[in-house]
Formats: sequence, C-alpha cells, structure tokens
Amino acid sequence: MSQPIEDEELPPVLKASVHDVRYFAALLRGVNFINRATITVTERGLTITVEEARTLLGTAFIFSDVFDEYCYRSENPPVVASQDSQDSEIVDNTAFEVPLNTLIECLNIFGTAGSTSANVTTSKFKKWKKAGDDSDNDDDGGRGRSAGGRGIDSYFGGGSEKRTGMRLTYAGAGYPLTLLLAEDATGPTTTCEITTFDPEPHLELDFDNSKMVLKIILKSSWLRDALSELDPSFDKLTFIGNPPPDAEATTSRQKQRPRDNEKPMLRIQAAGTFGSTEMDYPNDRDVLETFECTRSVRFSYRFAHISRALRALQSSTKTSLRIDEEGLLSLQFLMPSPKPKGAGGTSTDAFIEFRCLALDDEF
Amino acid sequence: MRFRASIENVPTFFKIIQSIEKLQKKCIIKFTETNMHIICNSDANEGGIQVWSQIKVESLFVGYRIQSNAANEITMAITSEALLGALKSASSSATSAYETEEVIMKLAKKNGQAVLTFEINGLTRVGRKVRVSHDVKIEVMRPADVARLSEPLCPEPDLHILLPPLQKLRTIVDRLRPMSDILAIRANNNGCLRLSINTESVKVDTEWKDCTNPKTQNIPEDPEDAPDPDQLFTVLVSLRSFLKFLNSHVVSTTTIACICQNHCMILYVYIGDVADAGGVLTFYIPAIIDDEF
Repeated sequence: MSQPIEDEELPPVLKASVHDVRYFAALLRGVNFINRATITVTERGLTITVEEARTLLGTAFIFSDVFDEYCYRSENPPVVASQDSQDSEIVDNTAFEVPLNTLIECLNIFGTAGSTSANVTTSKFKKWKKAGDDSDNDDDGGRGRSAGGRGIDSYFGGGSEKRTGMRLTYAGAGYPLTLLLAEDATGPTTTCEITTFDPEPHLELDFDNSKMVLKIILKSSWLRDALSELDPSFDKLTFIGNPPPDAEATTSRQKQRPRDNEKPMLRIQAAGTFGSTEMDYPNDRDVLETFECTRSVRFSYRFAHISRALRALQSSTKTSLRIDEEGLLSLQFLMPSPKPKGAGGTSTDAFIEFRCLALDDEF
Repeated sequence: MRFRASIENVPTFFKIIQSIEKLQKKCIIKFTETNMHIICNSDANEGGIQVWSQIKVESLFVGYRIQSNAANEITMAITSEALLGALKSASSSATSAYETEEVIMKLAKKNGQAVLTFEINGLTRVGRKVRVSHDVKIEVMRPADVARLSEPLCPEPDLHILLPPLQKLRTIVDRLRPMSDILAIRANNNGCLRLSINTESVKVDTEWKDCTNPKTQNIPEDPEDAPDPDQLFTVLVSLRSFLKFLNSHVVSTTTIACICQNHCMILYVYIGDVADAGGVLTFYIPAIIDDEF
C-alpha cells in the first residue's frame, strides 16, 4: 500500500503501444464524423464516443488486446467498501475529450496508417472502396494501393512495407495526449501532443433488450451495398420489419405467389425530394442470419445520420441491427482484428456501435 | 533577336515547369548563352515564396543558338500552364499517340505577337510522321526591366543541412496542413532536423537525426569560435509555401536547406547529381516573425 508521494513518480494514467496503427486508426475512422470525441479509459480498453445533433451516438469499443502493451492506472481514489467493488468496476474510468480528426491525422503522419477498408477485411469479402476513401494514400500512390491487396501478409506480419508504430501516453487530467510515432529505427520520429479537454456529458441512449422488437444479424456487405446505393439527396430512411410468416404458410404461399409478397420481412425505404426507393431483403438464412421480429415495425431515421455509419460498415464483417419499441436503433458492427486468432489466444474483435433516435413524425 | 534550340531532355524540362507551375501562373524565363534562368518573384505569391533557378543549357538543349542586342540574352514572361501544356505534348508517354523524335523550340512573331513555338516531330506506331506545333504567347521584356530584377539579399546562412527525400517530407507536411498555418523548421550542425507545429489544440514535432550537414567553405579561423554543433537554428515559414516548394519533389535528387534565423529559408534543389548538376532551383521562403511560437 505504499503510495508514491511525488506526482512525477506516478505512472501515467494510460500507457499503450502498438507496432502497427492501422487497425487502431481504422476503428477511429469509423466514428470520425464529429470532430470532438470523448475517450473513456478503463481497465479493459478504450471507448471513443461521438455525438451528433442529440440524436446519434457513435461509439468505438477498442479492447486492450488491440494494443501490444496496455496499462491503465486509475486516478480515482481506491474504493474502500468491498461490497461496492462490482459497481466500482463500471465506474472506475478516466475520460477526456480530444479532437478526433487531429488524432487520426497524427496517426497517419507517415502516410502508412492506411485507408480503412482493405486492411482489415479478410479476402473472403468483396472489397468495396469508393474513390474518395483513398485520398489519404494518394501521395504515396503505389504503396496505398498495394496495401489493399495484402490479404495474407497481414496475417503473417510479413511484407516489406513500412508500418507506423505508436506509443501513447496520457498523464492525467490537464495533460495532453502524447503520441510517439515512428516507422523504423532509422527513420524520423514524431511526437504529438494533443490537447485534451474535460469531457462533456453525452446523450444517454440505453438499449433495453426486453423492449426489443426487431433484431437482425447479417453480413455487413448486405447492408453496406444497400446503403451505398442510396443517393445523398435522400433525407429519410425507414426500416420496415414484419414477423416472418409460419413456416408452412411461407412455403405454400411462396409457391403460389413468389413475387407478390405484400408484407416484406425487412424493407429499407428511402425518401427524398426527388423520389423514393425501396429495397427488400429475402427471407433467406444466407442473407439474414438471425431475424427476430415480435410485431410489425416501421421507424424512420434521418438518412444523413444513418449514412454516418457507412465508413464503419466498410471495414466490418458482421452487423447487428436492433430496434426497440420506441424506435431507438442500435447498429453494431464487428470490426475483424488483423491479429491471427490462434497465436493471440483470447483476441477479441473490436466493434463500433451507432445508436440513433427515430424521427417523430411517423409512428 | 534570334533564338532556336532543340529540346533533348523533355522529361526534365517538363518536371521543372511542373514544379514551377503550382507556384505561379506566370513566370519569367531568361535565356543566356550558357544558362536558362527561371524566375518566380511575384509579390502576389502567398507567403512571398520566390524561385531563382539556373539550368545549364547543355543539360536540356542541343543546337542552342541565341542572338540579341542585350548581350545575347533574351528574357520573357510566359504563362507556365501553357508552357507545361506544350511540353506535355512533347513528352512521349505510354498513352500518347506518337513517339516524339525531335522538339524544336524557337522564338517567332505571329500576327505581331511574340510567341515561343514548339515544333514536335513524331512518329506514330504505324510509322507515319506527325507534326504538332504549339505557339505559346510570350512578352519579351525590355533590358531596363530585366536589370531591375534582383535576387533577394540574404545574410550568410546560420546552417546548411541536406533534407531527407522530399516525397517523404511532403507526406508529413501534408498531414500537418489542416492543423496549422505556420511550420517551424529547426536544425543543428549535428544532423538533426525537426519540423514542428504548435497550435492550441496540438503540438506535432517530427525529428530526423541522421541528416548530413554539407561542409561549407568558410571554416572559422579559431576552433574555439566554432559554434556549438547542437545549437538549433529555427525559422518559421508559411506551411503552404513550404508545401509549394515540396512540389519540386518530382525533379529533385538532392536538396540543401539553409536557415537564416529570423530571416528566411533558402532551399537549393539540385537537378541531377550534385557533383554534375545540370542546374539548381533556388527557393526563397521568407520567415514569419511570431513571438508567441
């Protein structure tokens, strides 16, 4: 119980390092739609939270095993009562705000933090890349492009390409977030000190599973393809879900009228000034891996908000879409870790969650 | 006034103009018997960046002939974009429809307008001859105006250092652009170079430790007078100006940076090997005086 007396001797609140920042940068980019982000540090890892228009909440959950080294020292006074220990595990965290854009730019200072999608998607999934996404890598042309085709290399940690390694420290409230970045021992080193701010309270959107009316798990590419088809001029996006008809009823009905299904299981409807569009998902296990719907559901959201999720969708493999009875939408994207599964043992994939309130006008 | 030359090294000429073109719409080219000087000295340039370059005639041209009343020198103001366009169609590339055989550049007068004519003779893939001709409007400058052009005066630099590959510098400075307008460049005589920005929201500092300090002629007489090699010299410049200079990465092989503390930064971009340099582009970037940095 010997407490260090001098402040300088205290280890920093957070110390983390990683030899390749691409996965970390990809996770940050997934929620990079509002510049000011709250970083919450706990024993288990980091959560990065951004909020838009008091309606949309984006959170990236980055577990400590994403980093090669991760060390958190609580600033909060140790909890005395043992009964509260379970509570304190939840409470015990340190939060601060940083400009997210600046953090991402700093990570990519050598141009080797890569663009998001190709680096983390496994080759099983179709590459989906918009021209604009590559802009980060335009300068070093060939390097960025070949990163896309790496595939197996990232699993063996091989390849001659340079990666940016990072050491991150946060000394505590009032101190900047310090990043030390380098490509290799002979190259330059970059030190970044990013000013931190006291965290502002965020919107609380709790998703109550007991009030859930719709739950879908599907491959991210199915949702990504649907959303990226939609023109930015649309302003409203509606999710329509209906309970699946009985098994026998389905088969008999589909035989008779396979095309004319009046009650779609899942329909995405977009509407804007210049028209509207509808997309139906088939009742097929290959498409909708899980489909639970307790009653007919129809909720609308601002399209601009939903499309914020596209960047995270691009590098994710699986999506869970849930809606509760008040229309609160929860989208969770699984972000596959580039680390080999076997060697790390208990490597947990990070994920990004978006929560969005429904528009009021429709019920 | 006569001027005629065949451009032998189109790619290099193209790259030089490419790095100039981003800087200034109109540039001044002065042809002398031995050199071609490209000058960008407009006050309108953001941050006041200037270029004074000197390229040996034999590194770009053959059959070079020049005659004028002003000591066989011709100085012209030319639109860099138009010049770049002419050189682009003169350079053979995988996509062009013909293989360039010869490019003649000459001074001419068409409809009372002085032009620089580029006659490109090429050969298509099936062996047919092609002639492409570009006329780039120019203004020939009077000797009195030419005499008024003067290179900026700078004190003896505090420090000389060889820069890392400009391509790499550009990647880094590009990332810094959204964060700051001012870039601090620090270096010492011990091979250390640092690029830093310092704003309210972020401080970024990139350091190279293994740069080379080229030997300069003026060796201090007394070794005790020799400055501390670890002393850092600093100059603050406009980040955008520095990025414009970095556009010359297309042509550079070796670049020497000189810091005149609190005055300016001078950058010598060598075209070809330093030992056998075909020319050098000299960039002057004035310092920003900012006490708060």
